[in-house]
Amino acid sequence: MQAASSINRRNFLKTSGLAGGGLLLGFLLPNKSMAGPGTGEAPVLQPNAFLHIDTNGKITVFVARQEIGQGVHTSLPMIVAEELEADWKGINVEMMPYSTNPVPDYKPEGGSGLYDTGGSQSVFTDYTELRKVGATAKTLLLTAAANKWKVKPEQCYAENGFIINKSTKAKLSFGSLVADAATLPIPKDVALKPQKDFKIIGKAVSKYKVKEILTGKTTYGIDVKVPGMVYACVERCPVLDGKLTSFDDSACKQVSGFIKAVAFEGTGMPMHLHAGVAVVATTTWGALKARKLLKTTWNEGPNNKQSTDELFKTFAEKAKAKPTKDVYKKGDVTHTGASSHAAEYAEPFLAHGTMEPMNFTAHVKPGFCEIWGGLQMPGWAVQAIADNVGLKPEQVKTNLTLSGGGFGRRLYYDFALEAVLVAKQLDAPVKVVWDRTDDVRNDAYRPANYHSMQATWDAAGKLQTWQHHKLETSIEVMLEGPDTKSPPTMLGGGTSDFWYDVPNIYTGYTHVDFNLARGWVRAVEICENAYPIESFVDEVAHKLGKDPLQYRLSMLEGRAAFTTEDSRLHQDPARTANVLKIAADKVGYHLPRKPKHFIGLANHFFSFAEAYAAHAVEIEMTGPKKFKITNIVAVADCGTIINTDNTRNQIEGGTVFALSQALMSEITVTDSRVEQDGFFTYQILRMNDMPPIDVHLVPSTERPGGVGELALPTLAPALCNAIFAATGERVRRLPIGKDGWEWG
Amino acid sequence: MPTYTLNINNKQHTVEADEDMPLLWALRDLLNLTGTKFGCGVSSCGACTVLMNNQATRSCQVPLQGAVGAKITTIEGLSQDGTHPVQKAWEKIGVPQCGYCQSGQIMNVVGLLKAHPKPTNEQIETMMAGNLCRCGTYQRIKQAIHLVIAETTGSPSGMRKTITTK
Repeated sequence: MQAASSINRRNFLKTSGLAGGGLLLGFLLPNKSMAGPGTGEAPVLQPNAFLHIDTNGKITVFVARQEIGQGVHTSLPMIVAEELEADWKGINVEMMPYSTNPVPDYKPEGGSGLYDTGGSQSVFTDYTELRKVGATAKTLLLTAAANKWKVKPEQCYAENGFIINKSTKAKLSFGSLVADAATLPIPKDVALKPQKDFKIIGKAVSKYKVKEILTGKTTYGIDVKVPGMVYACVERCPVLDGKLTSFDDSACKQVSGFIKAVAFEGTGMPMHLHAGVAVVATTTWGALKARKLLKTTWNEGPNNKQSTDELFKTFAEKAKAKPTKDVYKKGDVTHTGASSHAAEYAEPFLAHGTMEPMNFTAHVKPGFCEIWGGLQMPGWAVQAIADNVGLKPEQVKTNLTLSGGGFGRRLYYDFALEAVLVAKQLDAPVKVVWDRTDDVRNDAYRPANYHSMQATWDAAGKLQTWQHHKLETSIEVMLEGPDTKSPPTMLGGGTSDFWYDVPNIYTGYTHVDFNLARGWVRAVEICENAYPIESFVDEVAHKLGKDPLQYRLSMLEGRAAFTTEDSRLHQDPARTANVLKIAADKVGYHLPRKPKHFIGLANHFFSFAEAYAAHAVEIEMTGPKKFKITNIVAVADCGTIINTDNTRNQIEGGTVFALSQALMSEITVTDSRVEQDGFFTYQILRMNDMPPIDVHLVPSTERPGGVGELALPTLAPALCNAIFAATGERVRRLPIGKDGWEWG
Repeated sequence: MPTYTLNINNKQHTVEADEDMPLLWALRDLLNLTGTKFGCGVSSCGACTVLMNNQATRSCQVPLQGAVGAKITTIEGLSQDGTHPVQKAWEKIGVPQCGYCQSGQIMNVVGLLKAHPKPTNEQIETMMAGNLCRCGTYQRIKQAIHLVIAETTGSPSGMRKTITTK
């Protein structure tokens, strides 16, 4: 098993986002070409594992990051193509074949590796390195052409797949230069284009292979077919860490195609894979049908009576005490102001609900293991699978597929390991398919969390102290045990990254144990923390009789840019103020309101990958506790934008994801069992509830930040602030539907 | 096991399966037509939508014997090369993110427009409410529907205006 401390999210961000950058540099620019002439095959130009150009001029970009809908199979190749001066239409994109060591020079730190896809890191991490990939290949092609023409490379330039001689206007295609270019030494330093010359980066580019999606040809994990494959569905112990007592499959035998039932034990840390009985058949339907006839008895263990009702009572009780862990201190919070305010907020467990339910295919024989499916952190999964089958990771033949949604669910590998545990007991490859109830009831849930906030201010209304005590069912404790050294989930304003200028700050954390698997759901703690923070600052503004927009701006404008103490990210409060002001302008904050119309605002600094966002939500009250969302303005400053259309789509989609969480999504537990069983009970937004979303992107030449999770955190507080503006009633817990609010 | 002859995408296919096997699993596991997706199995998400006699139908709810004699169209049969007006609108608007729900969305829209060539906003919202998209592409789906309506009927629809001007 991999060292537990290496896979926590903070490490993931650190290694892939920061320290990883330096490693990637050496890795991306080896001193010699990886392939060239003389092998008996046609020569190719392959300066590294990311790029391959053949003599016909076919350019293939290999993407190591996983495509889960966020668009990296388009945006990352766009970066390479830009510096290469390639014709985008001629670019082919392939998933980089999985290897534990794709390039010997690459030595990933911690749990983060080349293939890892999470925390909105892909572009943020790879941008400069991928530009160098393109620029290096371009330099080689330029040099090859210059040699041919016997001129200096400076007398040539690259454009749209050709090298052009400045004086003679002669043209040579990339393909015609590949054989010569592949013999040249790889240059150490290459110049990158000035941003003003970008032709591909910053444009609206269609998703790569979108036509395959529209014609049903895309292969997701669940579409994998392997010769001789059988299908399985799994009956799992309903309680985490329970054990199988017995099972009886005699009734299953009446189902045609039923092969057999096989049992496996749960795993404990880190994944807490449930013990289960797999029902194996020749079709998925056969397995689903036979499973209904399977009889099981479980030993649920001592923790089978827990409920979320009790959990939230415990949170409220422990919120009165001091946090068990100090997270961040600045100044002295015992220094009190003239007046004070305190408030509490609660947020439920949440499921990922990817449209493609969990599934995985595995084939295990003595000394052999092959796997197929979508994984966001394949290195972590493959290590665990290899350990389980007694092989080395490089011996596990790993076939990664596209995923029908990730949102953090496929960072975990419980479903993959489960398929391996089943496959070990069969003579054939097996695809384990979860039905929707399995998926909703056996997720790694975004933790339930609770916040106690306190602030004081001076006579002028300026905030003097800010205290934030977060209580949560910790992810780190679930993965690593009670002695975990991993930092608690306080990013997103709960630590040194807090965006407002307040002289005295204290934040602390208390873990409350609960027998349910927890994991990372899109924007994770930034969502959890921005809701109480942006609600509470709104409360203080109202308490002071100040305009919430101006009050926020008074603590953002004029504050110098700074580097956060723990994650070493650059944060510029002027950019936070800017997105907020644009949101206010675009929603018509300064204009006279229509009758019964109210506006709420919220902003944040996105601490996973240096970006800024704000939401302005306008509602119309249609009853005492009923409203219609008439307009949502989403503003994003994510630095240099790679693909404007994909970025817009992510901001729209992120807003919708957050709307589900704000309005209706909730996982509740009774007797340590999840009560929801599918999309009728675990609700997510449907078309009939879809409000208009107006997206504004801030033009920028700053470092590209993260996009995939950026739009989530501010939606709920902006909506709740609008409700307060309308009714004077503060939304203290999500989803708001729980407290009788209606919409539509 | 009984055998069933099904008319799918204008071809006759014979499958041997239990009579209660839903059309969805016959398409996916027996006929290798995996463009039709499994999302829930209980008609809560619309990912498995196909056309049966030009009506949008959840293939997870149709037992094989109920599919016999019907003209079934799946995403693979909508056009040879993605040139159906709905597919073209989806491409032009850039709807998909992960793409998993989009076969079902597209087939549902094709069924919707066959029933109502110029649907009202309410008809669109009601008839699309059964098709979930976790990536949240609903706004683009609406835009693409209105683009199809505009291009196939030659007249702009009311909804398009409300989407683009806020």
